[in-house]
Amino acid sequence: MFDILEPLLFFVFAIGIIGAGACVVLLRRITAQALLMALTFASMAGMFLLLGAETIALFQVLIYVGAITILILFGVMFTKQDDRGYGLFFQRQTPWAAAITLVIGVPVAFLAFSFKDPITPSAKGGDLIPLAGSLFTDYAFPFEVASVLLLAALVGAIVLVKQDER
Amino acid sequence: MPIGPFGIDPVIWAVLRLVIAAGLAVFVLLNGALAQTLLERKVQAWMQDRLGPYHVGPYGLLQSVADALKLLTKEDIRAKLTDAPFFLAAPAIVFTPILASFVVLPFSSDVMGANLSVGLLYLTTLGSMTVLGIVIAGWASNNKYSLMGGLRSAGQLISYEVPQILGLVTVVLYVGSLSMVDITNSQPGPLVNALFLPFAFVTYFIAALAETNRNPFDLPEAESELVAGFLTEYSGMRWAIFFLSEYGAITVVCAIMTTLWFGGWHGPGVDAAPLLGVLWFTLKTYGFVLLFMWIRATLPRLRIDQLMGFCWKVLIPLALVNIMASAVIILAFADPRLALAIVNWLLLGGLVFGLPFTQRRRLLGFRKRTRESVAMRDVRLSP
Repeated sequence: MFDILEPLLFFVFAIGIIGAGACVVLLRRITAQALLMALTFASMAGMFLLLGAETIALFQVLIYVGAITILILFGVMFTKQDDRGYGLFFQRQTPWAAAITLVIGVPVAFLAFSFKDPITPSAKGGDLIPLAGSLFTDYAFPFEVASVLLLAALVGAIVLVKQDER
Repeated sequence: MPIGPFGIDPVIWAVLRLVIAAGLAVFVLLNGALAQTLLERKVQAWMQDRLGPYHVGPYGLLQSVADALKLLTKEDIRAKLTDAPFFLAAPAIVFTPILASFVVLPFSSDVMGANLSVGLLYLTTLGSMTVLGIVIAGWASNNKYSLMGGLRSAGQLISYEVPQILGLVTVVLYVGSLSMVDITNSQPGPLVNALFLPFAFVTYFIAALAETNRNPFDLPEAESELVAGFLTEYSGMRWAIFFLSEYGAITVVCAIMTTLWFGGWHGPGVDAAPLLGVLWFTLKTYGFVLLFMWIRATLPRLRIDQLMGFCWKVLIPLALVNIMASAVIILAFADPRLALAIVNWLLLGGLVFGLPFTQRRRLLGFRKRTRESVAMRDVRLSP
């Protein structure tokens, strides 16, 4: 019975990611777009759960659904809303977008269909300690670089706001 | 063929267990909210020297049942210019994470929905999701008071999430596990974590007050300024679902405090009769619920700049200091409890006595102004 459940959940999450992602691009209402983005993030978390990475799934929801979507909504609500079509702004770049998508998309699709991972996923639930181990030993330097980048962004944001005030 | 509990097929048992757990969660949440609304009104009435509800049933015990019936039968009103799909979805978005939180609460060593290895992270994550619903409710109501409430809520909840998680991290560092069961089992005796980590507890407690929109942090629904904040346009059962979620959230954060700092289900006689743990857990949790009500009956509301300033300038730096000191101590000592206790009590003392000290000029100003206004009144009153 659980053998049917897993592919079923996979399809639910896949439809969630792709469908909501497409709606984010195609819809015209910006609040709906922000919410559908939250749905995309949540479906991604579901995918992580299916892969047995509970911790990453929960962090995905905590950071993307709980914080980043809120910040986007915050931004949307504080900016002026009018009925101008948001899609028009991007329309001149369609050929460029198509070209870049092809260049990146075709190899990705090719890799995705030819890729076979011989290693079976590790046992479920125990991913927190290996995650912490790799984050603080093998990937300590990228981790620190990311922290410094975020700190710089934080300081930059404060500086920008301060200039606005004057 | 393997046989599960009660001689039921394990595949059917897995589904059945899920249904039972969900049913119990709904039951506990709904009845908890009924009990807490009554408790809240009675406790506040006693503290303010009033009677509180006393018409329905003996001592007014059935008041919340009558209120629930009234709310259920009320007409479902929606203003014309609200954003229909979001307006209708917002209560559900707030309510669902709260309901899902009940799955990992360890009521006793046997009574719990699931023992997740990342249970605490799960609870934090679900707690952060309710903001989304509140912001959407504020936006979709198409009302400036609602929008203000939603925006305040977003700012407040995102800010106070930081000290909340920092408070939890100290306990997780000390216990070495995110599982609610492991954390409970690490404090079987009378020496509960609250004795070693009081500062982490106070950080979490204050942040939890803000996270559940309780006084003195109930700015998103400040009645005196914003009508009812993000709840302004809601009525009937949709409004009631927001309140169910609020009381559910209070129960969840109180249960987290019970588990992390006060030994969870442990108490006298639990080893002999494990089901007694449910009683101890519930009693401890409702102790904190009562504390929340006491605070609501006592303290005035903060201003938004005071609220943000307190979070970013006081709570977060002190919590970071606490985490750094705790990490070093836990690495350095085989039995870190004494050193942890010293650092934590010092930090707590610093918070309790340092804050009035740094604000002494402002406090003196307040006192002077009060004295002057009293003197003015006396002058006016004298013949």
